[in-house]
Parts: sequence; structure tokens; C-alpha cells
Amino acid sequence: MKTIDFFINGTEISITCSPSKTLLDVLREDAGLTGSKECCGKGECGSCTVSLNGLPVCSCLLLAGQVHGQNIVTVEGIGTPENMDPIQQAFIDEGATQCGYCTPGLIVSARSYLNSIGHLPGLDEIKQALGGNLCRCTGYTKILKAVQTAAQRLLTFREL
Amino acid sequence: MYVSDIDMLSPRSLQECLYLLENEKASFRLLAGGTDAVVRMKEGKWQHDCWLNLKNIDELKFIAIEKDEIHIGPLTTHQEIISSPLLRDHADVLVQACREVGAAQMQNMGTIGGNIGTASPAGDTIPALFVLGAIIELTSLTGKRHICAEDFFIGPGKTVAFPNEIITKISFKIRGKHDLGIFQKLGPRKAQSISIVNVAISLSMKEGTRECTGGRIAFGSVGPVVLRAKKCEAMLALGELSPDMIANISRVAWKEVMPISDIRASASYRRDMASALLERGLYRLMKRWADDERKPF
Ligand SMILES: Cc1cc2nc3c(=O)[nH]c(=O)nc-3n(C[C@H](O)[C@H](O)[C@H](O)COP(=O)(O)OP(=O)(O)OC[C@H]3O[C@@H](n4cnc5c(N)ncnc54)[C@H](O)[C@@H]3O)c2cc1C
Ligand code: FES
Ligand code: FES
Repeated sequence: MKTIDFFINGTEISITCSPSKTLLDVLREDAGLTGSKECCGKGECGSCTVSLNGLPVCSCLLLAGQVHGQNIVTVEGIGTPENMDPIQQAFIDEGATQCGYCTPGLIVSARSYLNSIGHLPGLDEIKQALGGNLCRCTGYTKILKAVQTAAQRLLTFREL
Repeated sequence: MYVSDIDMLSPRSLQECLYLLENEKASFRLLAGGTDAVVRMKEGKWQHDCWLNLKNIDELKFIAIEKDEIHIGPLTTHQEIISSPLLRDHADVLVQACREVGAAQMQNMGTIGGNIGTASPAGDTIPALFVLGAIIELTSLTGKRHICAEDFFIGPGKTVAFPNEIITKISFKIRGKHDLGIFQKLGPRKAQSISIVNVAISLSMKEGTRECTGGRIAFGSVGPVVLRAKKCEAMLALGELSPDMIANISRVAWKEVMPISDIRASASYRRDMASALLERGLYRLMKRWADDERKPF
């Protein structure tokens, strides 16, 4: 057992657990944040994606001992039901979610991607950026549309 | 043994890390980005006592140029390589290879040292390191060894590194104005896929011509380790790299690779694809060379 101190969604927390526990399990079991989902458990599907110091990573392959002192943002930290982020609102408006299992990971990936660009992305660019996130339901069309819609809104917002 | 029994030590300096590796009784595994190592742990293949987490050792993260050599720290992530202007100018083939590793998540987590450490015959950075003539530095408490990338790998998952050694640097000479490189990969899916075949090519061209003064070609996933296609290389400097010549070289590649059949592809498919990827790569390089020179050949 080790005590691990790190930031989740801006709040510092201290958790005592095995350092070989995955961050995903820590989030879901110790921190009560069940937004991030486990699907494949080996980096293939992206449903567990969280942001580590601003960059999307798979929390199913990140070990608790490695996140000591680091900054983690999960889907819960991107927006709340009362105060939704433009990317979350766009997913709803475009109907980009069905069973919802992939959605939290996609929201984190898409938000990190939108943070890193300052233009309206083309479909190929979005596909490239979200290549690590699988969805078994939607067929992707609406997800791509939602990311474009969010990008458009964020750009308009920045210009105001 | 339970996964939860595996402890972790996070040394802050290389010296501390080497000391632990040499003197502690526990069985260790090095942990960088974890994209290979944690998968092995979950599969139950690795049952060691303790992880040595390298992530806090800042002195292993760097991209630097010194005279005519480039040095990369093993903890440098694929993403950091992709976004380095220095490497884009001087090691295009490595940048392209890192772009092909997994997807965004894997590029943010995975490191070049980890890709070398895993020593997969399909590892994407390895053919690029072969054609760059990279030297891999191994450090232990008692000293350093410098090993040419081509001599570093001895089988799938096997390298010449001893258990008390850590990869501490990857170095290669900067490319000249007339050098250009390309990395081509065939995988079952565009993102996140392990190579069925990959190839790295680097050429040194003669100004104003289609003639090549020499070059290197390295194939991945067509043998137990990445292999240099020396017969193909010898043909590069035989004359103009005309479409006929390129087709001939690719035919020789078909014979020179030694693939096996496995769950990802059959040996004969791999041969065909090795040949096709080389042909396509050479065409693309010649196109780029012509565009760069802005001279129609
Ligand atoms: C979904 C998925 C997709 C992938 N796609 C690709 C792909 O397309 N192409 C590809 O090439 N790879 C791919 N990989 C494999 C992996 O991401 C890469 O090999 C990556 O570069 C490994 O780096 P790491 O830092 O995560 O290594 P780790 O998993 O931390 O370590 C890997 C090995 O290297 C050793 N090691 C690490 N650092 C050092 C060091 N400094 N000195 C000595 N030994 C060291 C470790 O002990 C371990 O044995 C993929 C993996 C996943 C999970
Ligand atoms: S659960 Fe982590 S990538 Fe699938
Ligand atoms: S909505 Fe079901 S997996 Fe994407």
C-alpha cells in the first residue's frame, strides 16, 4: 500500500492503495468517479480516456503509483449536468450518443483535441484525433458532427 | 500472485535508479509509459516484485543537438518526437514512424525507450532507428556501453541489455540537405494497430538528378528481428531511380524478407506487402525529391 496524492478535476486528493492499481480502478472505486469506463482494459478502445496534465491517455494502463503529484481531468471535470461544456452540449444536440459507454472517453479526447487547435477541423483531422476511441453503436457520423459543432461554437465564443 | 502485490519505487535520479537495480534483492521491471508493460502485467505474464517507475527521472527526457549529432532521451514520448521541429528537420523517418504508433493516447503515454525495450519485431520506431544508423546507450552502475541499433536486438522481446542496465540515450548523425527518409506501414486498422509489415527507407540523393548515392532500407515484422535489406540497398546506387529500377528493387525485397505466418497475416501476404510498401515508399520519396528540387526530371 502507498499513499498517492494527486489532483482530480482540480481538487487535491489523497488515496491509499496498491501502487499497481490502475488509475481507472482508483477513479471508479476509491474516488467514486464512475464516468470513465473500462471496456478492453488494454489501451485499444479509449473508453477509459482521461487527461493527464492536459493530454489524453488511457487510464486502464496508467498505474496509481505513476500519477503521484499529477493533474488528472475526467469527464466529470469537463462539465456538470447544470453547466455543460460545449462539447457535451454538442453531443446531446447532435444525438452523438447511444449506449453511452464510449462517450466519456470521447468527450475527454475531443475536448483535449479542441484545446490544442484554433481552427475549424475537417472530418479527416477529427478522425485522426479520435482514432483511439472506438464506438460500437453510432457509426461515428454523429460523433464527428458533434465535434465540428462544438469547434464552431468554441470559435465563435473566442471571437466574441 | 496478485497484481496488487506488485510494489513500485519511483527514483528521482538515474543514479538512484541504477543503485536500486543493482543492490535491491527484489525482482524489478522498468516502467516507462506502461503501454506494453502494464498489458503484460494484466495478462499475468510478468510476476515481478516491484516496478521501477522511470517517469520521474527528468534527466532521461530530452531532445538535443550537439555538433552533428542528435540525442534523444529514452523517456521522450512519441508525441514529443512528432512535435519536435528539430526532429522534423533532421529525422523525418523517425517522426513518421512515431506518428504511426497507436493513436493519440498511446503517443502521449508510450516512449521511444519503451518501444526499444519491448523489442517487438513489429515495433515501429525500430526500422527508423536502423536506417538512421542510431546508437543506443546502455548505462549501469559500473559504466556505459554504446550499441548500434542493428546489433541491439537478438530476437522477439530480446535485446543485448543486461538486467542491471537501462537505456539512457539514443543518438544519430543529423541528415544532410540531400538526405530524405520515409516510413510506410501496413496495419489491420488505421489507428492502434500493430504492423503487419513496415519499412523505413533513407536515401542520399545527388543534387539535380534522380541518382541516389546510397541508402538504407529496414523492414519490420518480416523476421524475428527488424532486418536491413542489404541486397535492395546495393541496388539503390546502381543508376537513376527510375520507375523500372524501383520495380526491380521491390522484386528483390520479395525474396530478401523472411516472414512467418501468424494470426495477423500469412508469410506470402507479408512478402507481397513488403515489396509493395517498398515500391510505394521509393516512389513517394522520388516524388518528394522532385518537388523539393522543383525540377521536373
Ligand atoms: C493499443 C496499443 C497500440 C499500440 N500500437 C503500437 C504501434 O502501432 N506501434 C508500435 O510500435 N507499438 C505499439 N504499441 C506498443 C507500445 O505502445 C510501444 O511499444 C511504446 O513505445 C512502449 O513504450 P512505453 O513507454 O509505454 O513502454 P513500457 O510499457 O513502459 O515498457 C516497455 C518495455 O521496455 C522496458 N523499458 C522501458 N524504458 C526502458 C529504458 N529506459 N531502458 C530499458 N528498458 C526500458 C520496460 O521494462 C518494458 O519491458 C501499442 C500498444 C497498445 C497498448
Ligand atoms: S479500457 Fe482503456 S482503452 Fe479500453
Ligand atoms: S454509443 Fe455505444 S459504444 Fe458508442
